[in-house]
Amino acid sequence: MKLQAHIKLLLRWCVLLGMGCQSVAAATPVIEIEIRDHLFFPSEVDVPANTKVKLLIINRDPTPEEFESYPLNREKVISGNSKAVIFIGPVKAGDYPFIGEFYPTTAQGVIRVR
Amino acid sequence: MLLSSVILVLQETLEAALLVSLLLAASQQLSHKMSWVIYAIGGGLAFSLVYALEIGHVSEWFEYTGQEIVNASLQISVTLLIAICTWVLVRGWTPENRQRAGFRSSLFTQLAAATVMLAITREGSEVLIYLIGFYPIKDVFHTVTVGSFIGLGIGISVGVLIYFGIMGLQGRWQKNTMVSLLALFSGKMVSQASLQLNQADWIPSTPVGWDSSSLLSEESLTGKLLYALIGYEATPALAQIAAYAAGVILILITAIIASRVQAESRSASV
Repeated sequence: MKLQAHIKLLLRWCVLLGMGCQSVAAATPVIEIEIRDHLFFPSEVDVPANTKVKLLIINRDPTPEEFESYPLNREKVISGNSKAVIFIGPVKAGDYPFIGEFYPTTAQGVIRVR
Repeated sequence: MLLSSVILVLQETLEAALLVSLLLAASQQLSHKMSWVIYAIGGGLAFSLVYALEIGHVSEWFEYTGQEIVNASLQISVTLLIAICTWVLVRGWTPENRQRAGFRSSLFTQLAAATVMLAITREGSEVLIYLIGFYPIKDVFHTVTVGSFIGLGIGISVGVLIYFGIMGLQGRWQKNTMVSLLALFSGKMVSQASLQLNQADWIPSTPVGWDSSSLLSEESLTGKLLYALIGYEATPALAQIAAYAAGVILILITAIIASRVQAESRSASV
């Protein structure tokens, strides 16, 4: 009986969590960043604080790049001439730098969370 | 370019080298067999080449989050295989134990080979994508290849050091060190898997647990090496910390239960 009650509670939590995710997903803002000649365009992106955001990164170079942001704990390989989706946040206000790990000297940018 | 390629390849090689040297030491202890590692690394590299060449397609799966899902699946599979390896290692530490448990002598090496193969598939693919990407640019490719070999060389050397370090330990110390390092590796795997799933929006974001970036930045060389070896993060999310703990506890509990079962079967047979 006790186990059953626990399972019910767990299921209820899962449903609540699922609903929470869905309602957030419906309103997720999309921000586009392009990679051209191993540079990010735009290299500075403004993002609202405490909001989940979907980054759509389009690599226009024929070479692959790896999007990496240490403060946001994000890392993803993006093949040449292709696009990738990375979800970030919700995070507190602040500046969150990111780089292209394959061309770290040129591919640099910052996500400004306000 | 040279330095960044050394660091990038060193980071990936260190992760793999730690796992390989741990499992190699364990298999040497259990069955005095080492040849499996050649097949496992070869197989892992072959899979990673396929993954690297197909990364464009894989990325498009699950609404452009295929890479995260595949990586997380590989990481969870590696964790579960490490748990099974730990069970066989602790339960069958001596030949008598293995006989009592009914383990085939090749059981551990087969499990270890599968673990290494899956781990290398993910880590190797990143290096291969990097190298393939630079291939058309001849001058840079040359520099990057040299850098990669230096990174690979340092990574393998550290692996060899870890192997002999473990082999130098005796009896219970050796077993406990192996289990502890496997537990840390498993913690790192589960933590990284949780991060991948969060990046793909499969699990919700959680607040940052702590911020140690002023003490030890993840971008520093030490930070990067610690990330490769024990999964150090300067700003881990709470879910990641919980996942790390779950990975460590999974291995420790597996080892404790295996050692109890082993002790019981010994006392039953006496």
